[in-house]
Amino acid sequence: MQEFSRIVRTIRQAPWRIQRQWVGLLLLILVVVVLLSVIYLNVTVQATVTGREIQFLNHSIEENTRRNADLSTELAALTSVEAMRSRAEALGYQPVELEEVTYLIVPGYHGKPPVNLSVPSSRPSPSLLRPEYYETLFDWITRQIAVGVRP
Amino acid sequence: MNPSLSWRYGLVAALLGLMALAIIVQIVRIQTDPEIHALIGRSETVVRYYYPARGNIYDRDGHLLAGNITVYEVTVSLPEMKPEDIHPIALAAQVYLGRDYETVATLLANPPNGAVSVRIADYVSVEQVEQLQSFMNSLMNDPNGNPLASLGFRAHLGRSYPEGELASNVLGFVTQNEAGYFGVEARYNNLLSGIPVALRVPVDPRRAVEWPQIPPGASIILTIDRELQKETEEILDRALSETGAESGVIIVMNPRNGEILALATTPRIHPAEYYRLPEVFPGETPFNRAISQAYEPGSVMKILTMAAALDAGVVTPGTLYFDTGVINVGGQNIYNWDRGAWGYQDMTGCLAYSLNTCLSWVASQLGAEKFYDYMQAFGIGHPTGIDLDGEITGRLKLPGDEDWTPVELATNSFGQGVSVTPMQLVMAASALANHGQMVYPHVLYATVQDGQQHTVVPQIAGQPIRPETARTISEMLAVALEQEGKRALTPGYRVAGKTGTAQIPTRYGYDPELTNASFIGWGPVDDPQFLIFVWLEKPRSSPWGSVVAAPVFQQVVEKTVVLLGIPPDSVRAQWAGR
Repeated sequence: MQEFSRIVRTIRQAPWRIQRQWVGLLLLILVVVVLLSVIYLNVTVQATVTGREIQFLNHSIEENTRRNADLSTELAALTSVEAMRSRAEALGYQPVELEEVTYLIVPGYHGKPPVNLSVPSSRPSPSLLRPEYYETLFDWITRQIAVGVRP
Repeated sequence: MNPSLSWRYGLVAALLGLMALAIIVQIVRIQTDPEIHALIGRSETVVRYYYPARGNIYDRDGHLLAGNITVYEVTVSLPEMKPEDIHPIALAAQVYLGRDYETVATLLANPPNGAVSVRIADYVSVEQVEQLQSFMNSLMNDPNGNPLASLGFRAHLGRSYPEGELASNVLGFVTQNEAGYFGVEARYNNLLSGIPVALRVPVDPRRAVEWPQIPPGASIILTIDRELQKETEEILDRALSETGAESGVIIVMNPRNGEILALATTPRIHPAEYYRLPEVFPGETPFNRAISQAYEPGSVMKILTMAAALDAGVVTPGTLYFDTGVINVGGQNIYNWDRGAWGYQDMTGCLAYSLNTCLSWVASQLGAEKFYDYMQAFGIGHPTGIDLDGEITGRLKLPGDEDWTPVELATNSFGQGVSVTPMQLVMAASALANHGQMVYPHVLYATVQDGQQHTVVPQIAGQPIRPETARTISEMLAVALEQEGKRALTPGYRVAGKTGTAQIPTRYGYDPELTNASFIGWGPVDDPQFLIFVWLEKPRSSPWGSVVAAPVFQQVVEKTVVLLGIPPDSVRAQWAGR
């Protein structure tokens, strides 16, 4: 029995065994750290790329808004009273005089309809980003606590 | 284990433990230290303001009168700018952006404390920026470095008026601080400009943030008809040129609902060149005479006096007045415009020949109390409430006022001693043209917000006279015109109206030569669809409203019926008979 205990103690305390345990532990820590770092980097890169894309898209929206405004104004200038009059004259038309107008009854025609500049609804959509994309862990905890204490 | 080795291992472990402890302590300190928090707070996010695009302004058919275009802000990044760059930058700003060399050079040499960038120009056109950028590109390969490399360009929207000066007195303008001045730009500034949004944006691109969806400012549709506006402005300009008048006003309104279809006045300015305001509108020249300049209207006021007397039952169209050429009211003699005596005249004759004596007698028969009650009911002495910036009230002296004397009853009856704006007269006359109902004049037809159009419901300002009275006075004025105002008539269309020739009060009494010539009229008499007011200030070719203002009215009627598609009376009667 004593002999068995000595052998067990010897094996347990063997330096190479202790060293291997430490190396194993350190490797495990290293792997976990590397794993966490990789996950962190991956998430960070994705968030950064998404953030930049959002910035580009917002710039694109701004640019398109400006472009639309430019085109509307350009069209208005091309069809202004002065421009239309010049074009009509160039095409051989002339302003109608009172005595040249002939009025006809056209069944179903009730005159020029009033202007209507309504456009199909383009209501702002609700928030596009889910909280996961911008909320920190602390924000999440705070929100959860707030939700929890809400009556 | 070797004891010496054990000691060394222990030391390394202790050191590593201390380092780990230090890291933990540092983590806790960073998380809790208020100074570090303040530092992080400053750099973590920046506040950015997002300005919505200013709403458009359209005419009643949806033609754009005021929109937006891309313009640029030009800045200089101070960390990138070398001292020797100041001269070329200032020179480029002068040549390409029209800025003063000294101003730019001084700004760059002495930038505000703490500034990292300074703005040297704003609202620069795309063409100017393209020229400047082209010049910058040509310096790219300069061996001494590009001296304009520190220039930056930021695009944003600025106001644009594609119709130029058209209706500028109605539109007003927008300055570079995005504030509207005069006209609808000022009146509806809050509506047009929308609500700017301030957003705290994280500097860290890893933190995604949703940018706000800022709705643009509401767009507005005016009651103005741009073709009619253009024609009206041209008629006015021609009239000023032909008569030598100093200035003028023409208003075309729909008397049924108060919609202003055209409003022409002088001077005019291209709204984009508002910086020329002191030059174009020197001294106290009003921006819009139709609402901001009161004058003694003269005989056009007679239509209100006669309407009041008819409504009160004091006179009828057939009431006869024997004109001796003079009448004494309040101890003072009143004479006719020609100092003549016109003998027996019925009330239509009094209007046709514009007899001051007759109208003074009519006002006397009505009495001061009723006369002024009616005048106030017509809105004289009160602002009309038109939705344009800068309206004034004029002045109607009332019995009991310090400066009112009994003779005022007579002089007021034919438009002397009372000051009104053209818009007040138009509003008052709308009661005569619209079955006794007076309408609020307005230029807003509808607003468009979030894609939805909300059309303005016309408002009735009151009913100063009965519908029968309105019909009677319209008929009397139509007959009077047919008798004595042929210059105002348009073939095929029966119109009612009255000329006005008013002396101009000065510090030393009335000017012996200069007058205000005006005309107010509406038609077709059986179904009024337009009300037109013409005022020429100090015409030189003739002082008389019947000579200079009546033909202008006729020209405007001709254009109005064609552009609004109003058939002649005979055609309408024919249609009605079917």
